[in-house]
Amino acid sequence: MIDLTLQVEPGVIAEGVNLVWVFVATFLVFFMHAGFGMLESGQVRSKNVANQLTKNVLTWGIGVIAYFIVGAGVSVAIAALTSGSEISGVLAHLSAGSTGWASLLFGAAFSMVAASIVSGAVAERAQLGGYLVFTVFVGAVIYPVATGLTWGGGFLSQLGFADFAGGAIVHMVGGVCGLVAAAVIGPRVGRFDDDGSSNVIPGHSLPYAVLGTLILAFGWYGFNVGTAVSVFEVNEAGELALADYAYAGRVAINTALVMGAGSIGAALVGYIRQNKVDPLMTANGLLAGLVSVCSIAAVASWRGTLVVGFVAGVQVVLVFDLLERVGIDDVCAVFPVHGSAGLLSALAYPFVNTTSAFSITQLGIQVAGVVVLAVWAAGATLAIYSVLNALGWARVDREEELEGLDAAEHGIETYPEFGGSVIEDTDRRSSRPSGTPVADGSGESDDD
Amino acid sequence: MTDIEMIVAYIRPDKLSAVKQGLSEAGAPSLTVSNVSGRGSQPTKTGQWRGEEYSVDLHQKVKLECVVADIPADDVVDAIADSAYTGEPGDGKVFVLPVESARQIRTGAEGIDAV
Repeated sequence: MIDLTLQVEPGVIAEGVNLVWVFVATFLVFFMHAGFGMLESGQVRSKNVANQLTKNVLTWGIGVIAYFIVGAGVSVAIAALTSGSEISGVLAHLSAGSTGWASLLFGAAFSMVAASIVSGAVAERAQLGGYLVFTVFVGAVIYPVATGLTWGGGFLSQLGFADFAGGAIVHMVGGVCGLVAAAVIGPRVGRFDDDGSSNVIPGHSLPYAVLGTLILAFGWYGFNVGTAVSVFEVNEAGELALADYAYAGRVAINTALVMGAGSIGAALVGYIRQNKVDPLMTANGLLAGLVSVCSIAAVASWRGTLVVGFVAGVQVVLVFDLLERVGIDDVCAVFPVHGSAGLLSALAYPFVNTTSAFSITQLGIQVAGVVVLAVWAAGATLAIYSVLNALGWARVDREEELEGLDAAEHGIETYPEFGGSVIEDTDRRSSRPSGTPVADGSGESDDD
Repeated sequence: MTDIEMIVAYIRPDKLSAVKQGLSEAGAPSLTVSNVSGRGSQPTKTGQWRGEEYSVDLHQKVKLECVVADIPADDVVDAIADSAYTGEPGDGKVFVLPVESARQIRTGAEGIDAV
């Protein structure tokens, strides 16, 4: 055994195991797209299901290419630009080599989580083309600037802004993009009356929505625990030692607990208000809990996690009410679930950090960080969607919206019922018993 | 006109099983059912989506069609009404319609033989 360990290079083991772990986490994060697809298509009406699923598939399809070709370089450039260092290596990712591409893919999967959030907010009326143009901008510019300022080493990271798995960088940015896009393109026909009162437009499948929620939760283990990227490192003595995995267990247990706290928080508000536990609100609360742990998962105690998760669940209900009151139609509640819960996560960091005492300075840094990221996401979305609006690419016209986007944009009926294609069935017709009446009715008797 | 009659009933979905049993016992086991929505004397109920309530004035019902020739339609109506009864608004209604003609597709049989 001792002989064996002497024969291997610790660095090779570390790199190999770290690569395996990055891939496992990346593939879990990728699977979140199945969750987004189900969650969103369950919350829209049956006439818009195919459109919502198409948007989810093409978000990855177009977005990941935009991120790979342009976005990863933009991140590097923004990091250098805002930290005062020389801009270099902007195109290095295109020839990064196998190991480099592995970690690039991990980042790409995160970028597409941010992008995927938007489609839920603008569902049931956003034009496919305009949405895809926006997705290119999310993958190529909006998200990469956010990571460039932070994880990439830009000025927010130099300031000391902490956001472990991207509560603000991924989720709040995605949520704010969705919120602003939904505000710019306006509510669905019939969502609000002229006096501002809101109407409920129920989605077509609660089972899809809840399945999507739990698929997202499954992928989230990769999202959070995977952010503890390095399993092993080679220490100064040349020995193999645990790296990020030293705290991975804390991240995992906090991720699990926060789902409970978030779902209980949202369920409880519904129960207090209506004496009923609302299934979709409870599912939304679970997701908001998961968002709220992203920034703090590596440093929070389990007690702190439970408190933050519970608050995240409660605020889903309240923030969604607020959006209705101001006339914003956020179909899948993406701002309460990702936007405000992500904001909460980043701001909670100094309060629940077990590795250092609360400091007002750190709180100030967190506030500065979320303000910069939110203003960037909101401003960029406002600019892009205003242009799309002016071009007439932002939303479908009224008739198409009423008919449903599946028919108008795809020529598809998602649940065709009796709408199957006509199949000639001559064999069966010829096997009719001879002498029976024929189709023109000439052989029918009439008892009258 | 034949002696064939069609009984159309609108019942509570959870009473379908009891009504099938009742029809069987009345000697009229053949039937067609469909899911329908309708409005009658049953009061509006409240639906909920993401914690928000909205009123639902069309209720889920089962529509049942049953064509008989050799047993009295009244027996069938009684069987359905007895099996579907709860006494609360929304129990449904039963209608009897005359049938002009009938034909069994497989055999080509006409009239009463077709039923």
